[in-house]
Amino acid sequence: MNRKYSTRALKEAGQGYFFMSPTIFVLLLFILGPIFYAIFLSFHNVRLLGETAFNFVGLANYERVFEDRRAGIALWNTFKYVMIVVPCQTVLAIILAATLNAGMKGEKFFRIVYFLPTLTSSAVLTLIFMWMYNREGLVNFGLDKLGLPTYDFIGDPNVALTAIMVMNIWATAPFFMVIYLAALQDIPDSLYEAAELDGAGPVRKFLSITVPHLRPITSFVVIMGVIGTFQLFDQSYIFSGGSGGPDNSTLTVVLLIYQYAFKSMDTMGYAAAIAFVLAIVILVSTLIQRKLSKEENLY
Amino acid sequence: MEKKWIGTGISLLLAGSILAGCSSDNGGAEGTGDSGGKTTVTLAGWGGNPTEQALLEQTLSDFEEKNPDIDVKLEVIADQYMDVMKTRLIGGEGPDVFYLDAFEAPAMIETGVIEPLDEYVSEDFDLEDFEEPLLDAFKQDGVTYGFPKDYSTLALFYNKTMFEEAGVEVPTTWEELTEVSKELTKDGVYGFGVAPELARQYFVAEALGGEVVVDNRANFGADEVIEALQPVIDQHNVDKTSAQPSEVGASSGGDMFGQQRAAMVLEGNWNIPYLDETFPDLEYGTAEVPTINGEKGTMAYTVAYVMNAASEKKEASWKLIEYLTGKEGMETWTSKGFALPTRKSVAESLGYAEDELRGPLVAGAEYATVWANGTNLPVITNNFNNQFISAFLGDRPLDEALKEAEEQANSEIGE
Repeated sequence: MNRKYSTRALKEAGQGYFFMSPTIFVLLLFILGPIFYAIFLSFHNVRLLGETAFNFVGLANYERVFEDRRAGIALWNTFKYVMIVVPCQTVLAIILAATLNAGMKGEKFFRIVYFLPTLTSSAVLTLIFMWMYNREGLVNFGLDKLGLPTYDFIGDPNVALTAIMVMNIWATAPFFMVIYLAALQDIPDSLYEAAELDGAGPVRKFLSITVPHLRPITSFVVIMGVIGTFQLFDQSYIFSGGSGGPDNSTLTVVLLIYQYAFKSMDTMGYAAAIAFVLAIVILVSTLIQRKLSKEENLY
Repeated sequence: MEKKWIGTGISLLLAGSILAGCSSDNGGAEGTGDSGGKTTVTLAGWGGNPTEQALLEQTLSDFEEKNPDIDVKLEVIADQYMDVMKTRLIGGEGPDVFYLDAFEAPAMIETGVIEPLDEYVSEDFDLEDFEEPLLDAFKQDGVTYGFPKDYSTLALFYNKTMFEEAGVEVPTTWEELTEVSKELTKDGVYGFGVAPELARQYFVAEALGGEVVVDNRANFGADEVIEALQPVIDQHNVDKTSAQPSEVGASSGGDMFGQQRAAMVLEGNWNIPYLDETFPDLEYGTAEVPTINGEKGTMAYTVAYVMNAASEKKEASWKLIEYLTGKEGMETWTSKGFALPTRKSVAESLGYAEDELRGPLVAGAEYATVWANGTNLPVITNNFNNQFISAFLGDRPLDEALKEAEEQANSEIGE
């Protein structure tokens, strides 16, 4: 009896796996395979062009990450970027969502307008912003009219990364806004009514009801934000023409990986090692974030 | 049980056809060997402007007429040329013949993916006819791997109207250039538009006897190099009579010059058609690059046709290279002046040496430094550019910046 059941179960499981086989095949080929290959590469000195050669070098590639000054700069730039962009875009997203949910006139229209930046491709967006950031562009024109100092956003290392930050906050906040908007529908009106009876104003209601109830969503938004911002590449690539300049100021970790993988010869293994260091950094920061948000979980 | 295997068969078939669908898109490059007795040679390069493209197609159809058994398939790689080319060569899908910039050449040659061409060369090809420094850029250990298709040097472009208004002469020495810049700088116009990057500053850096690259390692922290580059920094930060394109909102030196935000720039041959098309009303002239310390100097940039060592149609590929870099093909290709011919005889017959605008560019070929030096130049350049810009913007002293960049470059190069 028992044995018969298990063959049946086996058969069923086999059928299940069989139905999944196209997906499993694709996952193995395009996701798991490359990951294991990258791990393999990171322990080797790889030469792909001409005579293909893989020399096992142990942890040498990983040691090199910590000695490489540019890797340090890239990590620091990326870290700065994450620390500024994630909180800003999260706060902006909440505020945008709350105002859209307040029942004002033309809500739908503004919802579309706010969401537009997210629909634009980041490459196009970057090119448009580069025009605006031009020495003679719109941003400097505005700053000048307000009597503020103007900058060479593209050429000056001191402001180039800030320029990318502003651009990215503007572009990603609306995406998270939509997630917040959905979550806002779930907050029961009775809570707001009760608060009103207790004499709470709009600001107090926002801080004491809306924000705490959105906490699980916030932790999701922050985690997604952290993962996304750590992987900053396209904006800084287009902004600097692939160099990470001026003066390494827009050099991000992924851009550095790209440079080592494709621009310089025979450093594919080292690039894979940096990619793993980045993956570990992201993993650790996500775990820390999860730990922090769990302790404060409302539910 | 039966049914199951049928299912497996179907899904395998499906998976197979999906994969086949993927590969058949790219298969054309290598697979189509002989179709109807014709050999198809693929030629890959980056795109130029429409006129340039038409010239190339013209040259290729001339070649096909002369060699009825060879078909040339032109592939234009629009962006990230070297990334695409390296990936395709690794995957064994490389074209038979392709463009290779002198800057990238040494590293590519060293990997062994480029076919040595010496044994193909016949007497008629006339090697002596090539400008020697340009040909040397594609040699390694005395073996030639590519033949330069064209080149450009840098020359001084000056705005005639501004020079007349300021009442100054075209500078012939770097000191004069510095002085003239002071006269020309006013109302948001800079005397001199400068590109703070190694590709443009290499000859300046080496003007006082220093060497940027020694034994394939960075050496630009040497005192002679720093001393030679200091005037470039000082002109920007002390005199404030020069600017880089982004400081005036321009995208390139040519753009800056065309928008009349700089009275002088050092640009190449490519700038002439660009200015004609984009700024047709601009009154400008060209002159040889001002001398530094009494010595003439400029940069030369060149691109060659090279053959893929893994090509299966080497004979036909050589015929194509032979024609394109031969006297006839080169004359067609360079006839409109978008690029300068690397053969002396072609340059003579096209008369560019006497051309008012192109004369100074041609004259530079004799003493130009070719933009290529060993396999590590890309790494060296990246690090130089990164730190040079911070000195250029006055954030830190030049010697400190360059010494640090040199250290970083050499640590990336390793032993």
